[in-house]
Amino acid sequence: MQQGDTYTHRFTAGNAVYDGFISTFKDTNPLHTDAAFAQAKGFKDVVLHGNILNGFISYFVGMCLPVKNVMIQTQSIKYALPVYMNDELEFTAEITGFFESVNTYEFKFFFKNKEGKKVAKGELQIGLLK
Amino acid sequence: MAADTIAQVNKIFIDVLDNEDIVLDPTTSAKDIDEWDSLNHIQLIVAIEKHFKIRFNSSEINGWKNVGEMCAAIEKRLEQ
Repeated sequence: MQQGDTYTHRFTAGNAVYDGFISTFKDTNPLHTDAAFAQAKGFKDVVLHGNILNGFISYFVGMCLPVKNVMIQTQSIKYALPVYMNDELEFTAEITGFFESVNTYEFKFFFKNKEGKKVAKGELQIGLLK
Repeated sequence: MAADTIAQVNKIFIDVLDNEDIVLDPTTSAKDIDEWDSLNHIQLIVAIEKHFKIRFNSSEINGWKNVGEMCAAIEKRLEQ
């Protein structure tokens, strides 16, 4: 792993993750559960919870990197567009910095929907466990 | 040690550790600041390296006993 390395992974924001999120965290705000409410607020359907994307980031860090001795240290995300049920998302993360002194990598990442539009972007810092 | 170096490091500590009351001196070490734990130590080093646009290696930072040694290492690296 070195600066400039780029990783991509495809996620589907489907029923399983949506139901699992609601079952686990009980966030049934009408924006996420009531299509009429969401449409009245200008969205085409219920909007998936933004923090579902953070779950995808967790999967990326834990399962997609070439090493498993990793731990998220900091993470920030900005949401640009809503994500709807069954949206296919392409996640891209690039290593933008490496701090050998503390075994820490910095990434910039973004999610694009199938229309190629960025729905979210952010930064991530992970450490390699000794 | 230049006063400006420790002043800049002091600002980084205040920001990273979210504690406006921190006043560093050369003898300050992790045992003197509650928030200076192992995870925050990583954030401090990353912030210092980014702020001063320098890089250390692990053996260097593991040798620091206090803020004075940290600042001396920063200044030495800036001179190189």
